[in-house]
Amino acid sequence: MFKLIKEIFRSGEATVKYPFAPLPMEKDLRGKPEHTPEQCIACAACTIACPPNAIGMTTDVEAATRTWSIDYGRCVFCGRCEEVCPTDAIRLSQEFELAVAKREDLVMKAVFRLARCEACDTPFAVAKEVAYVQEVVAASAPTPDEAEQRRRLAATCPACKRAHDVRQPAAFGVARRLEETRR
Amino acid sequence: MNVMTQLPVGATHVAALRAEMPHAVLEERRQTADQITVTVKLESLPEAVAYLYYRRGGWLSVVVGNDERSIDGTFGVYYVLSMEEEDRCYLVVHAKVPEGKEEFPSVTPKVPACVWGEREIRDMYGLVPVGLPDARRLVLPDDWPEGLHPLRKDAMDHRFRPAPTADDETYSFVNDSDRETTVVPLGPLHITSDEPGHFRLFVDGEDIVDADYRMFYVHRGMEKVAETRMGYDEVTFLADRVCGICGYAHSVAYATSVENALGIDVPIRGQAIRAILLEVERLHSHLLNLGLACHFVGFDTGFMQFFRIREKSMMLAEMLTGNRKTYAINLIGGVRRDILGEQSSRTLATVRELRDDVTRLVDMLVSTANVEGRVKGVGILDPQIARDYSPVGPLVRGSGHRRDTRVLHAFQGYRLTGLDINTGDGCDVLSRTLVRVNEVFDSISLIEALLADTPAGPILTEDFTYVPYKFALGFTEAPRGEDIHWSMTGDNQKLHRWRCRASTYANWPVLRYMLRGNTVSDAPLIVASIDPCYSCTDRVTVVDVKKATQKTVPYKEMERYCRDRTASPLK
Repeated sequence: MFKLIKEIFRSGEATVKYPFAPLPMEKDLRGKPEHTPEQCIACAACTIACPPNAIGMTTDVEAATRTWSIDYGRCVFCGRCEEVCPTDAIRLSQEFELAVAKREDLVMKAVFRLARCEACDTPFAVAKEVAYVQEVVAASAPTPDEAEQRRRLAATCPACKRAHDVRQPAAFGVARRLEETRR
Repeated sequence: MNVMTQLPVGATHVAALRAEMPHAVLEERRQTADQITVTVKLESLPEAVAYLYYRRGGWLSVVVGNDERSIDGTFGVYYVLSMEEEDRCYLVVHAKVPEGKEEFPSVTPKVPACVWGEREIRDMYGLVPVGLPDARRLVLPDDWPEGLHPLRKDAMDHRFRPAPTADDETYSFVNDSDRETTVVPLGPLHITSDEPGHFRLFVDGEDIVDADYRMFYVHRGMEKVAETRMGYDEVTFLADRVCGICGYAHSVAYATSVENALGIDVPIRGQAIRAILLEVERLHSHLLNLGLACHFVGFDTGFMQFFRIREKSMMLAEMLTGNRKTYAINLIGGVRRDILGEQSSRTLATVRELRDDVTRLVDMLVSTANVEGRVKGVGILDPQIARDYSPVGPLVRGSGHRRDTRVLHAFQGYRLTGLDINTGDGCDVLSRTLVRVNEVFDSISLIEALLADTPAGPILTEDFTYVPYKFALGFTEAPRGEDIHWSMTGDNQKLHRWRCRASTYANWPVLRYMLRGNTVSDAPLIVASIDPCYSCTDRVTVVDVKKATQKTVPYKEMERYCRDRTASPLK
């Protein structure tokens, strides 16, 4: 009994003042993921990495927009999105008080404009993503001409690229030359 | 030089099985250096399992069913045996059940430990264990449609899924009141209890004659979710959520199973970090259970004190992983966060503090009057019953059996350390509690040793290729005992099968033997001593065998009676 009373006096006050005072937290705590749309290029890396499918994307071709969204009600705060983001657009904060009155309030959205294809003028990819890719591929080009060529290629939709890939060899006349060789 | 040491691990068991049953073994496959799967003829299955279990020192870890019709037109049943005497390894006995004749000879009459596994296979795959005495369902609810077996690959397609349950409660509850009453449903889903179960105690006066219980009220279908919706590399985060207390042990067991199947070598530092975090988890879990042990004997001050120091282990987890409970730190191939210099020194300081705190509190606990009287000789688990049912963790160690996966099948960072097995021979609640106390000190020493000795280096490897239809076991020693996972990779980067066996699953079947012969007021204490994630007795039905009456006692009332031992709810 004496040991017990001694222990109680030794331990003092064990409780904290929270919620009337902020709760001290470790600096590496994985809290609410914060998205910065200005940084985001909507590349969809996070939507693929997200284990519980909390992050998703939908495309509206009519309006030429793509909507990125996160549902904090599904989020498991694992931080995979932060790891895979190429532009540092999503980061885990220390915020953990996420209660809201309505479930819809847990969903955050960001709408991105789509770029139109250089060749056929249909919307095909987020404009910021195209611009980002253009910068990356042009930076490694050996000549300014080549850089321009690569920029235009990056701004072409996959369907046009495929069509182009078929047309170009046709223009070289490979088939005709093969015919001739065979004769 | 000893000739035996030149043989690969486990080869002696396979040779002995071939000698004992010359024509039974069809095929032998090796998954890792210490995991072998032998395929036997279906009719030889019970004899093969029983021979390895009782005559070669095997303990049953898990029974796995698998729908392999897309691979070879059969269902697979796998009996995983942990060989723990000489030549230690995991030996899996596999038999093929042909499609169209969906039955197999039950092993339970020879090895009682198989009972839950076989009942689950019957529910989940519709394979009938011929000769299994217990014909009741285990996992599926009473009103689940006949003939719908959820884990078959062609079942549960969302387009053809029938309404799974009826809206009406089919269970009848007894109400002896002669006046009009208001019905307040309490349980089986109790709001404070994460793992509900319904208990029936058959009593004579105050003495428990027998006990029965029902679990799986909140079966979450995790295995099916993992197989249908998630990529194999995302399941580590789901496995973290199998248990609210020892989730990291599941995450490591799952990651290890896939790493074993694909032959991935996790870097040494990654392995050591996993072991450190497993021990951090054990610290908080054992301190929680020691606190609860105080609570159930009516010593609530001790409960508060244990929970106060437990908070230090929770902060430790938050610092090292970024979360107090779901660590989410495993990937296939290693871990995501290193332990840096500052974190290492703060961890060392915290565990040193914890060692002093626990020493003082345990001293206080054993010197408190009446504590020993309440826990000594209560809830006896007979060592032979334990041998027959293969329970795990402090429960089986408290009955004198040397079973600890960390030592017998050293995995991950435990290969780097020396560790001994704590056992007790009292077979009672006290013995289990003392095993846990000793393990707390072991965990602290392990954390110190691993932090001091681990070489710097990479923590994650991505140097592997995903191959479908490979399978292997993964295992950890969770605070409650061995967690074992059996994973088979599938096409489309998804698992073909994930069998996750939590430690408490292996411990439930022996509980009825521990309850027999004790008084009703000790029941919550005995249940808590197997350390189910929370004492799941949220509702207890008491049947008086002499008077043939039945009475349902709310869990709170049972718990109060256990603490105060006055005003019996049965009178």
